[in-house]
Amino acid sequence: MLLVVLGLVVHSALGYGSRSFEAYCPFGGVESLWGLFTAGEFTCALAPLNLSLLVALLCLVLLCKKAFCGWACPIGLLGELAARLGGRVWKQRPRVPLKVNAWLKLLRYVVLVAALFFTCRSGELVLRGYDPYYLIFSGFGHGSAGIVSMLVLTVIALGALVVPMLFCRYLCPLGAVFDPFSRLGMIRVWRDESKCTACGRCGQTCLHDIPVQKLRTVRHRDCTNCLECVDACEERGVLQLRAGL
Amino acid sequence: MPIPRILVPILVALALVAGLGLRTGFTRPTLTKTFADKPGVKATFTVSGVRCRGTAMLFASLYEDVPGVHGIEAYASERKAVFTFDPGVISRERIRAIMEAPIPFQDGTSNQMFECLSVE
Repeated sequence: MLLVVLGLVVHSALGYGSRSFEAYCPFGGVESLWGLFTAGEFTCALAPLNLSLLVALLCLVLLCKKAFCGWACPIGLLGELAARLGGRVWKQRPRVPLKVNAWLKLLRYVVLVAALFFTCRSGELVLRGYDPYYLIFSGFGHGSAGIVSMLVLTVIALGALVVPMLFCRYLCPLGAVFDPFSRLGMIRVWRDESKCTACGRCGQTCLHDIPVQKLRTVRHRDCTNCLECVDACEERGVLQLRAGL
Repeated sequence: MPIPRILVPILVALALVAGLGLRTGFTRPTLTKTFADKPGVKATFTVSGVRCRGTAMLFASLYEDVPGVHGIEAYASERKAVFTFDPGVISRERIRAIMEAPIPFQDGTSNQMFECLSVE
């Protein structure tokens, strides 16, 4: 599925298809809201598709948490590949202390507020110059900020080798939009405490450092339902996917 | 009761398909310019170069003083512009020629910014 999504984006980024590749970014739906309410027009290069994808994905988050991030987002895929590459470099991956990790996660709300504020004020997609999705698929196209954009992308790419999913954890504004809905996500991983040996393998495997071995049900806002923890568990039936409120 | 794990990618795929399908029937232009409040014939031009609101404004500015062009709706994401015009005053070919003409810049250079790919 990731390959289909990636193919669709690359296809339109190369100029084929009837619409710009930017139309496939759900965060564009959030950015377009102000322009739609005030002027009835879409901001910059945004389109109805941005909005409809946002609505559909918000419904998905309510149902299945941030499954889009883990199963379809091209930047999520690149983050995962970088994390695997980093895993080969590090014998024991350095962990960001939990408190620092929690504080750094607030950065994505700062990015969200800044992106919306400056986009509404200028009518331009100000995030373009610093957005890995735009920079990669446009090939540093119109709106990129030259050396600054290269620097940002390099820091994000190198950082992702050390801290898995660096962009998704600390900087993704779409993740910030999904956060409150993700906690309500009905389909999630449940842990059978009576069978669990508390080996901690599930928590160590999680690219978002969610302490799965300490939770009865993974309500954590960062869970993408990638099911890596379920795969890592050696005890049969301890971690299962279930639906519930 | 445990849920089969295949359900997660299936739900993601369904959400994406729903997202792609939902947009049908809902459309808003990137830019609407009305030069004259008169009825006229509509023609849709697919134009490469109209990629954002800024370029749509530049595109529309080419027709501000052109007799016969009553209005333009530009759709950046779909690379199209819908013209409302009086065919007795201006033809589709003339509209096309205007958008494809080189645009002079302040530094003395000029460049073709827009190319018409098709007309409906």
